Order: sequence, then C-alpha cells, then structure tokens
Amino acid sequence: MAQISETVVREVVKEILAQMANGTAVTPAAPAVSYTSGDAADMTMREVGQARPGTASDEVVIALAPAFGDKLKKRTITGIPHTAVLRELMAGIEEEGMKPRIIRVWHTSDVAFVGKRGAELSGSGIAVAIQSRGTTVIHQRDLFPLQNIELFPQAPVLTLETYRNIGRNAARYAKGDSPAPVPQISDQMARPKYQAIAAVFHIRETEFVDASKKPMDLEVRFN
Amino acid sequence: MTSLIAGIDVGNATTEVAIAEISDFQRPPRFLGSSRVPTTGIKGTLSNIPGMALALRAAAEDAGITVGDLDLALLNEATPVIGDIAMETITETIITESTMIGHNPGSPGGMGIGVGKTIHIQNLVSVGRGEPVIVVVPKAYDFEVAASLIKRALEAGVNVQGGIIQADDGVLIANRLPKILPFVDEVGLIDHVPLNMLAAVEVGEHGQVIRQLCNPYGIATLFELTPQETQMVIPIAKALIGLRSAVVIRTPAGDVQTRRIPAGTLKLIGDTRTIVVEMDGGADAIMEGLIQAGRLEDVEGEPGTNVGGMVERVRQTMSDVTEKPLKAIKIRDILAVDCLVPQKVFGGLAQEFSMENAVGLAAMVNTDQLLMERLALALAQEIGVRVELGGVEANMAILGTLTTPGIDMPLAILDLGAGSTDAALMMKGQPVQSIHLAGAGNMVSLLIQRELDLPTGSNVDVAEQIKRFPLAKVESLFHIRNEDNSVRFFKEPLDPKLFGRVALVTKSGLVPIPTEHTIERIREVRREAKRRVFLRNSLRALRTIAPLGNIRNIEFVAIVGGSGQDFELSQMLMNKLAEFGTVVGTANIRGKLGPVNAVATGLVLSYCERQRGK
Repeated sequence: MAQISETVVREVVKEILAQMANGTAVTPAAPAVSYTSGDAADMTMREVGQARPGTASDEVVIALAPAFGDKLKKRTITGIPHTAVLRELMAGIEEEGMKPRIIRVWHTSDVAFVGKRGAELSGSGIAVAIQSRGTTVIHQRDLFPLQNIELFPQAPVLTLETYRNIGRNAARYAKGDSPAPVPQISDQMARPKYQAIAAVFHIRETEFVDASKKPMDLEVRFN
Repeated sequence: MTSLIAGIDVGNATTEVAIAEISDFQRPPRFLGSSRVPTTGIKGTLSNIPGMALALRAAAEDAGITVGDLDLALLNEATPVIGDIAMETITETIITESTMIGHNPGSPGGMGIGVGKTIHIQNLVSVGRGEPVIVVVPKAYDFEVAASLIKRALEAGVNVQGGIIQADDGVLIANRLPKILPFVDEVGLIDHVPLNMLAAVEVGEHGQVIRQLCNPYGIATLFELTPQETQMVIPIAKALIGLRSAVVIRTPAGDVQTRRIPAGTLKLIGDTRTIVVEMDGGADAIMEGLIQAGRLEDVEGEPGTNVGGMVERVRQTMSDVTEKPLKAIKIRDILAVDCLVPQKVFGGLAQEFSMENAVGLAAMVNTDQLLMERLALALAQEIGVRVELGGVEANMAILGTLTTPGIDMPLAILDLGAGSTDAALMMKGQPVQSIHLAGAGNMVSLLIQRELDLPTGSNVDVAEQIKRFPLAKVESLFHIRNEDNSVRFFKEPLDPKLFGRVALVTKSGLVPIPTEHTIERIREVRREAKRRVFLRNSLRALRTIAPLGNIRNIEFVAIVGGSGQDFELSQMLMNKLAEFGTVVGTANIRGKLGPVNAVATGLVLSYCERQRGK
C-alpha cells in the first residue's frame, strides 16, 4: 500500500515538474507587449559576402548555425521564434555599448565549432554561437574548439531573458569585464523529455551543412 | 646520553613543532625536524589535542623518528590570551516615500540631466506641448515600443527630459531617439515611483560620475528649494556621491535619512582611569580613550546596544572555552578599526547599496595557566610522552628568533599572528619586556570580507585568500597583468574559467576570485586593512615596550609569526619604521624556516639552557 502511494506521488511530481518546465519555457515566447517577436516570419536575412576577420574591437559576433533563422520552423526547441532570440542577443550586446555582427557558418552544425569560427572572425575575439534548437555558447578565439567561456547546453531551459543576458555577458567579456556567469536553470527532466527531439533538430540542421562554403556576413532586417 | 625533545607552540591559527636531539647540554641542540599544521579549536582548549598530535607526527616524520621515541614534549605557557572579533555598522540610510533612486546600473542610457514631471509611458500621448516630463517605463514595454512612443512624443512637441526604466534597456532606448537624453535603468520596483511629481534624472559621462544631484545646491537649483529645504536634501546628495546615474524625485513628504544606529558606548576600565567612549565616534576615538585609560582591566559595552552585544558575545565565547564564570572573564585589550561596508538601503527602489560606517572590534582576554596544565596532561595521555610547560611565550619567541643568522641583542620582535600581535624586547642584563595586543591576521580577513562584501560560509575563505596572495587580471588567455601593471605571458593557453577575471597568483597557479570588484579596489582594500590592523598594532606594541616609550630607542626589530610570511607586510612595516630609524626585517628561524617556528624552537633552546644551569 505504502509503495503504491509512493509511486503515485512520484508520478504527480513528475507531471508537475514537466508542467513547470513547459511553463517557464513557453511563457516568454509570447511577451505581453512586443510586435516583433510574436511572429516567426518577420525577419529577413541576406548574405552580403564572405565574412572576413573583423578589425573593430567593439564588435561581438553572433555566429548562426546553418539552419538558424530562415529555415525549417524558425523556432527553438521550446517554440521561441528565432527572430526574438536573435533580437534579444543583439539587444544585450547593444545595451553594453558594443556592436553585434551576424555571420552564418556553413561548414559545421556543431555549436562549439560554429562558436570557434565566429570568435576567430570577431574583432573583439568574442562570439556567441547559436543552433536552431537554441543551444548557445560564448566562445573566445584563443580557446580550443571544445572549450568555452560560457556554455548553455540545455536549450529547453533557455528563455528570452537568458538570451538577453548571454548577449550582455558576451559584450562584457569583449570589453574586458569579469561578469558573473549567466544563471541557468538546471532541469533534470529536460534531458529525457527533449533528447529525441533535440537529436532531430540537430540532424535536420546538419542537412543544411555545406562543407565547402565559407562563413558569410549576414544582413538581418526585423520587419 | 642523548634525548629527543619536541617544542610545541599552539597558536591561534597554527600549531608548530620543532624536534631536536640533545646529547650534551653544553652544546647547542641539533634540530631534526619541524612542522606547521592548522590549530584545531580555540587556542588553549582541549580541542587543540588532535592538531597537536598531528603536528607532532608530521615533525617526527620530518625528523625520521616516531612520536613514541620522544623523551619529552615542551608546551609553551601559552600567552594566556585568546582573541575574538566582531563588527557592527553604526549608520544606515533610509529612504521614505521613494524620493531618490541612486544606484549604479551597469549601463545607464544617454547622458546629461533632465528635469520634469514623472509620467507613465502610456500617458505620454496626453501630455501638452512643451511640458517637461520624465518618462517612467515598466518592463512590459519592449525597448522598440518604448523608444518609438518616446520618439513620437518628441516629434509631437512633448518636452521629454529623460526616463526611468525597469528593464536593462537604458542604452537601447537612448540609442533609438533623435536626441541624447539621460535614462536610468534596472529600477526594480518601478511601480513605487511616484507619478506626476517633479523629478530630476542625471547620467554622468562615460568614466565619470554625476555632478549635479550629489551637490545639495545642485538639487536646490533644479527644484528651486529654499535654504531650509536645501538642508533637508543633504542626506540625499551624500547618498548619491560617486554614482554614474541617479534620480531624485520631489515628493511632499518624502525623505532620505542617514540614521545613526544607537551603537552604544564602550566603557574602558583602566588602571589609571575609566573612560566611556561613544561607538559612533569611530575607531580613533576608542583608541584615544584606550591610551588615556592606561593598562586595561576590563571593557564593558552598554547593555541593549550593538556594542553591548558584541562585547558580551566575546565574553560568552571565552567563558565557554575556559569554563570560567562569565564574571571572571576580563578583556585585556581591544583594537577598533573603522571601515566602510556596503549595506542595502532601506526603502530603496532599485536594490541600492550605500557605504555605511562600521566599527570592527578585536578583543582579547587573559586565560590562566590552569588551562595549559590541563592541556599538557591531556597531551601526555594522548601521545604517551612526558609533557612539560616551557617558558613564557615572548621569551621563547626571542630565543627562537636569535637563531636567525646575523641577529644579536638588544632585539625587539614583533610576533604577527592570526589572533594577536605580540611584541617583546630583550636587552642585555634586563628581563624581557613583552606585550600582547588584540587584532592581527583574522581581523584583516574580516575587514577585507566586509568591505568587499564577499560571500561567507563557503568552503574556501575568499577574504583569507585575498589577504595572502597578490592579484592579477587575466587579460587574454595568453597573458595576465599583475597588480603592479607588469605583464606576464604564457605559452599554453590558460583555463577559460579565468578569462577576463581578477585572479590570485598562488603557488599552484591562478585562482579566479568570484567578485566584480576591480583589481585596484581589491588591492586598495587589502592594503588598507593591513595598514589599519598590523601597522597600527605594531606601532602600539613597540611604543609600549620601547625604552622610555620611544620607538627610536629600539634599533633592531625582527618580524616573526604566520603573518610575517605575508608578501607585502614586512615592506609596509619597514617603510613605516624607517621613520624612526629602526631596522626591521623578517626573521629566518634556524637560518631556514623563515618567520615561523620561533616559539617552538625557543622552547627547546630554553630547556637546554635551564639544564645547563643545573
């Protein structure tokens, strides 16, 4: 009898946790007032030539994995529109007085390598890399590819606020500050719940990889 | 016949042991090994035993023997002093009815100063042409939306002078406007900002601080205040000094006060006089009183006040460890130190902190010899070796120090430990003069911890680490800039965890410090803390033991004790004492141990001397 009640409790707790995870992840996707981030189709991206190493030390590169922004569903694993994510990253960088520069990396879909490439092209040596499912990393050009300054491996727990903070921290590293790392929620349930779908995201992203194509500068316009 | 002797010195922070072999009392003993381990428990209590046993084992291993081989262990007649430290703030800032927001958001927007009525952003459309307003923007408004609303209002002729923003959007909004306006952001409790009130917003230039709002006449000019009203804004102006952005709102009843917490008085009972000093007079007043009181017999704090609590806490701790009645505990010395600690402003809207005055107090009580005898007995049982009480700690320290190459009498030593600063003077043919003062290394750590607002209770004591090691800023993964501005390069990239951080240069590599303070600020606080505790105490101690009370009469001073290993302290002392024409140097016990192990070594030497006399 006691055992039955324990399993019941476990079930309930699991359900509540799952709902909570859903709640936190989905709510920010539809901010109360925002006419730009509600719709996923209101951003246009245009390649404007091959990305060259930057010279401005106030620039922070946002390196996009092949499928981010204008392919597939244009939403992260929890349904946050890519437009909103990119906008928050850029806002975070701008708020710190730095300039975001957006490039597309084609030759890989691995967020670590996307970040490393972005950092090499960044005038400040700092880059934020993001995959279409939302996984993000802050990279620095002197690091080995699989190292990082800050890694956000659990895409399901990332909210728009986190993305703003990631942009802000990246800009602060570029300025030579020592910001406190962005706080992250650690959700035990994210892994079992999202592992399969995360794999699908990655496979689909990898389908867009073009090993022979160089990173390109992007012009992004929010409509 | 040879015998193996161990000298054991239990200090406030470390327990040190020296083991020597004595074959002939006419010849100096041959030292075989030594050790230094952290003291367990409070000095002079039975909980020291595990630490002592550990230290003995380590030293025996160093000497290549076992603890059982020892013929005799000597325990110092522990300077019967134990210290404790406490700190209380004596001022606090209170804001009523939200009259000001003075915090330092990382990135306020725009620049300049604006004055106008506070107005919610949704009401911006109904404002008349030319009316000066300060926009209040809650979080729900996206920065694009807010910026376009303000822009439209400006185009319609509304005189927007600046803004107060809840989110971290200051720069974003300011960047999207046709003209440069000041915006203070990250104001958490924006709902509490009173609307339709005259307000002033100021944002300083990059790398500068506000000028107008931290000046009482500046506020008076903006709000057209009368001289009487100007007097009222002094606390506001004071609270805003040194910030890059601020808001002051004129409300009918609002007020900012710097309240002095009733800190109480301290009664210094001396052998010449009894002095009562006000705590809010600060450390200097207390130390001044201490000089007037003469040799301290006891200290009492005013009951029911902060200082009363502090003193009683010290007394209670001491009573617990010495198992003496509360009344029998007498405080024999105190050291008061002023400091500025960040405190959350009461009633603030944006989690403001203000630097408040605080007084740190180190106190010391005398224990009695009974305790040490009890300790000796317990130790003998624990290790199965005869244990004797050696001589007075100060004399032992001098004997040990005399093993330093190039040193001779007359000699003064400064024993800078963790809990107390001790000094002793030895002149030919005269008894050793000694003094024990409250306040040493632990007090420095406390000051660093409080002034930098470092986390407490974690495994690693950050303040303690900062005290011990020089700083460096990791500028890239291949180079660091040391605190003296020199640059050091690395062939291999550093750990990415260190990137951009302020780190400590320790023997085992760079250790990042979890704080956002700049390297200059940490260095300043660290050096200032050492200056206020060690320099002050060293001078105080030397003055007491110096012939005729004049430090000039002391020619040589040797620094011993754990804090003597400090990387900058001996230089600081040397600089200071050079004024008196005194030579200061760090001792090097037995020519190899540096400033530690003086007492343990001295214990063995003095035993030898006594036996020779027989």
